[in-house]
Formats: sequence, structure tokens, C-alpha cells
Amino acid sequence: MIKNIFKFSEQPHFENPSLIVGWSKDAGQLSPKVVEYLNRKLKSRSFSEIELAGFFSLGGVAVENNVAQFPEGRFYYSEENNLVVFKSSEPHFEKYKFLNAILDVAEHYCKVKELFTINGTVSGVAHTSQRSILTVFNQEAFQRKLRGCGLEDMNWEGPPATSSYLLWVARRRGIPGASLWPEIPFYLAAGEDFQAIKLILSFLDKRFNLGLDLKELDEKIRDRNEKISQLREEDSEINKYIGMLESGLSLSEEEQMELIKGITELLEEEG
Amino acid sequence: MGIKLYKEPELKSAIMLCGWPGIGNIGIIAIDTLRGVLKAEQFGEIEPFDFFDPRKVIIEGGLLKDLEFPSSKFYFRRIKDKDLIFFIGQEQPTDGRTRYAEGQKAYKIANLVLDVAERFGCRRVYTSGAAVTQIHHIVRPRVWAVPNSPDLIDEVKSYENTILMSGIEGRGGQGIISGLNGLLLGVAKKRDLEAVCLMGEIPYYLQGAPWPYPKASKSVLEVLAKILDIELDLSQLDELAKKVERSVEEFLETLYRAEGIPSQIEEEIERLRQAGQTELGPITEEEQKRIMEHIDELFKGEGWNDKKHL
Repeated sequence: MIKNIFKFSEQPHFENPSLIVGWSKDAGQLSPKVVEYLNRKLKSRSFSEIELAGFFSLGGVAVENNVAQFPEGRFYYSEENNLVVFKSSEPHFEKYKFLNAILDVAEHYCKVKELFTINGTVSGVAHTSQRSILTVFNQEAFQRKLRGCGLEDMNWEGPPATSSYLLWVARRRGIPGASLWPEIPFYLAAGEDFQAIKLILSFLDKRFNLGLDLKELDEKIRDRNEKISQLREEDSEINKYIGMLESGLSLSEEEQMELIKGITELLEEEG
Repeated sequence: MGIKLYKEPELKSAIMLCGWPGIGNIGIIAIDTLRGVLKAEQFGEIEPFDFFDPRKVIIEGGLLKDLEFPSSKFYFRRIKDKDLIFFIGQEQPTDGRTRYAEGQKAYKIANLVLDVAERFGCRRVYTSGAAVTQIHHIVRPRVWAVPNSPDLIDEVKSYENTILMSGIEGRGGQGIISGLNGLLLGVAKKRDLEAVCLMGEIPYYLQGAPWPYPKASKSVLEVLAKILDIELDLSQLDELAKKVERSVEEFLETLYRAEGIPSQIEEEIERLRQAGQTELGPITEEEQKRIMEHIDELFKGEGWNDKKHL
């Protein structure tokens, strides 16, 4: 069954690794950027790829930012860090089959001991405020185990994300898992939110002793913050709106739109 | 993966009644009302994972408590000397591209439903849905009945307020039943199992409306009550039907006053009010298309999707 859905290119030696799942689209580009960063820094190697037919609409390609896109679903492994990463587009069809296929590889092929999913949650928090990683666990014991790691419990009822669905399927198989949802200021959701990316990478760094050098991100955060500060000096409305968010006040829909417009223009200049 | 049964009730020559959501929710309201009135007991379900995505997650204190999927449940009840099985599906499975059940998933779920029917010795299956037609909403809807065997035609003809496809002007006995209501009839036929689809009439200008059409569900239930030889208290359904009729009247009045639709279309709808049930000729296909374009546009607009109208 696994071999019908996944193509394997290598057979690495696994020692009960942890699995990190990241999706190709996310608020603040969080999930794809975290996974790309990890794979690059840890020199992870791809060992398996999912067959797309049946899970994705393959009636052509989407073009984004002038570039043709195509769905993907690929497993990577960093032997040195005993970490498996699954980087994927979210399936359009047959989600249950898709998620079970991921966990078939994770459970039977890699023998993972736990899994983490990465997603950003859009929030009314200001980019200058302290950010939280809101977290959902699929087992109480796993939640207890990660107490004191700087994670904040999430409460929510509504339509489920693919990550929540994966976590639920994992629970049915007895695989402990957590979904990490750092807050992304709504006005940074369309671009890259370096602060949130760093927040998650720092957590993973600590949890798995990865020895990541995050200076590159620190510079980007500093640069971004300086640009926004400059914009605040030049544009009193933008300054007022961010100031309101910093004070814990909420903005009207119109104010939110103005703030998004101002910041988006700034980020576009940034390229 | 598939069917989960909590009980194995001993049933004899049972009749199965199936309901799914659809236009005006006519079928599911009819069958689920009957299930509720007869206090049928749940005895099984179809596992949702192969057919539906979850629609709600519940997260409390950082713990994933539950994931809710649309349910597909079986119930049973003995009344007098008849055993009844109910199947109530909260959603029709689609492949993500169509509104109604179609393709492999639909075929699979239809087969699972009939597996249960055969396992408990069902001799007859009824499905129920909507018949979109040229009637006014003040008119008592008829029930269009489609059996899956010519042997059932005489019996169906004897049902009160019911009409065969051949009795509908311009149809010549032809038509299409979309989604599971139709598919189940076909799959039952393949298994040599008798099945009949009962479709309550709904005015075509309401087929895209966000509210149910209980008046047609009532017509279906009246037919089923006769078939099953039972008395039903349908006062609650009557109340709901009256409420919906008032809402439709208010909706049209508001539209007419605000000149939200051309006066010609208003006249065409009002002409149906006078025409009653038996004179279906005054509106041409072209006119019907034009009305639908306007009405559908209005139902898609934010203002009219407000459920407070009900």
C-alpha cells in the first residue's frame, strides 16, 4: 500500500526519529520557510516522494508570482539529527487517505516516535509584541511532557486545518503529536514573518539540539523592524494603528485594510 | 472500514427509508421527521472517513478533543407488523467537484446503504428528494414518484397526490434524478431490490433559496403515511411550512417593492399563483431561465442569505 502511494529513492537507517510536517502555503510563509530552512541547514536528504494523482487537481498548473507551481509531497531525513521532515502541498482530495499514507511511512517505515506540524495563525497581535506559540496536542501525556517549553495551550472550535486532521489520525494510531501555531500579525500574513519563523526554529532547535545559527534571521527581523519603524515615523495613521494593536486594542475593518495596504506596499518595495 | 453496527435487530421484510440533504432539504426533512415521530432507535452508521472531510474540530486547553464528521446513521423501528429501517445522511459525498453525490464515492456509499438493507432482509427502499417545477409556493405540492421497476407502476399510480414522470406535461416519462436519491434507485435495481423515489414539488424560483421547503416534505410524508398505513401528527411541519410560506411572501413583496426584479418577472411569478397546480403551460422555458437568473442572483447576495428570514 505504502509503495503504491510513495516512491522511495533511498532507504536510510532510522532510529525512532521525530517527524516535522510543513505545508507549502501558510500565513507569514511560516510553514514552508521553516521546513526549507531546516532542510537546508541540516542538509536533509529526500528519500521518498508521494504520487500526486488522486490527491491533487492536475488539470494544469497554477501560476504564482510569475512562476508555475506544482503540488509536491516529499519526505526528507537528517540522519545526524534523527529528524524526518515531510514537506507537502495540502491535498485537494482524499485527505484521509493522504494523511494515512503519510503516517504509514512515518509509523512503519521511519518508526517515528512523535510528530510536530507547523502552521501560522493570523492574529491581532502587533509585530513588536511578545509572540506566543499556540499549541494543540493529541495526547495528554505528550502535553505534560512538553510543559515548560514555552508553548501556550490553544482553545478553538471551528473548521479543522489539515494539521488538526493529521493530529487526530495520528492519535488514532497512538502516535503522539503537537501542532505549533505561532501568532502572525495580520498585516504580515501575506509576506514572510521572520519573527514567527525564528520563534518556531528556536523551539525546534532547543527541542532537538540542532545547533542552528539563527543570525541570518535576526538580521532580517532587525531590518524589517527598522523599515516598519521608519514607515511609522512617516505615516501617522500606520503608527496609530500599530500603536493601538500594541496597546491591545482592536482595529475596525477599514483600519485593518489600511494597515495591510501600507505594510504590503512596504514589503513589496523590500522585494 | 465501512459499516459499523451496534446492534443486530431481528427484522422481517423491512422497508428502508433514506434521506439526504438536497434542494429545499425536502427528502431529509420528510424522512427525518418520520424517524423522529416514530422514535426510531439508532443501530449503526457508515464510517465517514472515506467519504467526508471533518467539518469541525474541538480544541480545549491545548488538547484536541474531537473532530466532527457528517454522520450517516441507520435507525430501526417496528410499527404494527412492519419493520422500518431509516438511513439519514447529513451530507451527500462528492468528489469535491460537484454539489451532489457523483462518481466512485457516491457509488460506494449507495452500496453500503444497500448492504445494510439486504443484511436485514429489506424488501423495499424509498428515497426522497425534490422535483423542481412550475408551481407557486401557495400551491399544495404533488409528489413525483419514480419506481425502479415497471412492476411497481400500478402500485405507485394508486398513491394519493402522486404523479409519474409520464403524467408531467412535456416530459414523456423522461427525466433525471440527481445525486444519491437517483443513484440508490439504480444500485437497488442492479441488486433486484425494489425501490421508489418520492420527490416533493418545489417552485423553481425557490430551488436556490437558503431555506427548507417543508410544504413538499409534508406531501411526501402524507404519501409515506398511506403506504405504511400509519397516522402521523404533522402539526410541527405545518407550522414550519406556514413560517416558510410567510417568509417567501415577505421576500417576494420586498423584492417587488424595491423593484429588485423586473416587473415582467413579477407578473410571471404571480401568474403561477393564479394558475394553480394543473395549468403548467403559461411560462416558457426561456421565461423560466430568465426568472432563475434574477432569483439566483438575489439568493447569492448577502442580504438574502440571512437565516433570520425563517
